[in-house]
Amino acid sequence: MTARDRIVIVVIAAFAVLAAAWLLAVAPEREQAAKLATQVSEARAQLTTAESQVTSARSAQAGYAKAYASLVSLGKAVPTGQEVPSLIYQLAQASNQKQVDFSSILNGNASAGGSSATLAPTTAVAAGGFTQMPFTFVFDGNFFDLYRLFQQLNRFTLRTSAGDLQVSGRLLTIQSVKLAPESSSGKGSSGRLTGTITATAYVLPASQGGLTGGATATSPAGVTQTASSSGASSSATTPAVIGAGR
Amino acid sequence: MKAFNLIPAEERGTGSGAGKSGGGAFVVLGLLGVLAVFALLYGSARHQISSQRGQVATLTAQAQQTQAQAARLTPYTSFMALREQREQAVSQLVDSRFDWAHAFHELGRVLPRDVSLSSLSGTIGSTTGAAGGAGKSSSATSSAASTSATVASSTPPGSVPTFTLSGCATSQTEVALTLGRLRLIDGVGEVTLQSSTMATGGGGGGSGGGGSGSCPGHDPAFAMQIAFEPLPSAAAVSSATARSTVSTGASKGRPTTSTGGAR
Repeated sequence: MTARDRIVIVVIAAFAVLAAAWLLAVAPEREQAAKLATQVSEARAQLTTAESQVTSARSAQAGYAKAYASLVSLGKAVPTGQEVPSLIYQLAQASNQKQVDFSSILNGNASAGGSSATLAPTTAVAAGGFTQMPFTFVFDGNFFDLYRLFQQLNRFTLRTSAGDLQVSGRLLTIQSVKLAPESSSGKGSSGRLTGTITATAYVLPASQGGLTGGATATSPAGVTQTASSSGASSSATTPAVIGAGR
Repeated sequence: MKAFNLIPAEERGTGSGAGKSGGGAFVVLGLLGVLAVFALLYGSARHQISSQRGQVATLTAQAQQTQAQAARLTPYTSFMALREQREQAVSQLVDSRFDWAHAFHELGRVLPRDVSLSSLSGTIGSTTGAAGGAGKSSSATSSAASTSATVASSTPPGSVPTFTLSGCATSQTEVALTLGRLRLIDGVGEVTLQSSTMATGGGGGGSGGGGSGSCPGHDPAFAMQIAFEPLPSAAAVSSATARSTVSTGASKGRPTTSTGGAR
């Protein structure tokens, strides 16, 4: 065996030892370390997600009282029941304020033609949203008083200039209006008009789980099992007055 | 002076620093060096493994704890989501309304002094862009399909509000003036004359076309139709409702009389 051969053998043996050391000892450990690093980053991400969930849940918890109040006030615009007495009360109050006579209310859609009303179903379920409740109202007053009455009806639920939703009464969508001189004899020249308004009020369907979804003023459903009812539907005579904001 | 190599000629062959081992010593040294590096890497990896195992255990426990905490508070976030959804639905309805009060105000503003109205009928048409759709009163139920999935308004976005007026003017010129003035109403799309008929016999009584009621003397009775711009589209309504808060009456500042983008 020559010196060159010896060198080749030594070098090969050295490489074999190094390869064995790398493959058997170092590489598996490094691989495991890399896997663990991935696990650490995953766990960290999981923690971050959970922390952000907690943060948003805490902020939801902190704003719960306001949110509850605003949901209740939305119940004035769209109550859980038909709340017809409340609606009549609000219409009568608005017409009194505007010196307009509130002549009649007809449950259902009347043809704009006048007295011979064609009744539509009392309520119609709107797909995926609120239940529609068509009404026909008749008011008597002069043009400008009726105009102010329309303003007042809009103001029951409206968006303010700041973009907020302001709720002080029932949400009404007017579909048709007919103004004609008042038919009563002797009043033709007085400028009095009869305004026939076909409008739709909205009702929260039972499928939505009630006004507050079972939540109470202190906690939402699922946190405490107190037996108190939502108590949120607006009364016919005493509409809820709860200031709320986000 | 000349240099001489004193090493015997037979022993001069290798000439390099490898010595008698033939360079094997360097190989061994290199091997040891690399092994030392490997040992270092191994130790470092072991250290990482042990510390990362502890880290994973800690982080997992923390995450579980935090998740449990979040789960306990889930009803609050669900309630917030319910509130948002409800508020958006109401906002959408508010924004899709036609501002009747504003329209009547505008009508009162532009109507000439010598013109009197005998009847006024306004409806929200159920079709979009159909300016001639007089009398197309939309039923409360027919519009559900054309609205967004969230809430069905009885005055769906895209419907065209139309007013049908009938009344008396002092002359045909006044009727023409009225047509021009009605075009000044905010949000009007089109004004069309249906009829303007002057009574031929004495004592009035002219009732042409859609005109109703009798007009004094030879005053023409007219019937006109005003088609407003369509109510804002669902996309416009959605963008308008994206930001809103709820308050009750008398608690906020001055409310707007506008109820949507129809103006």
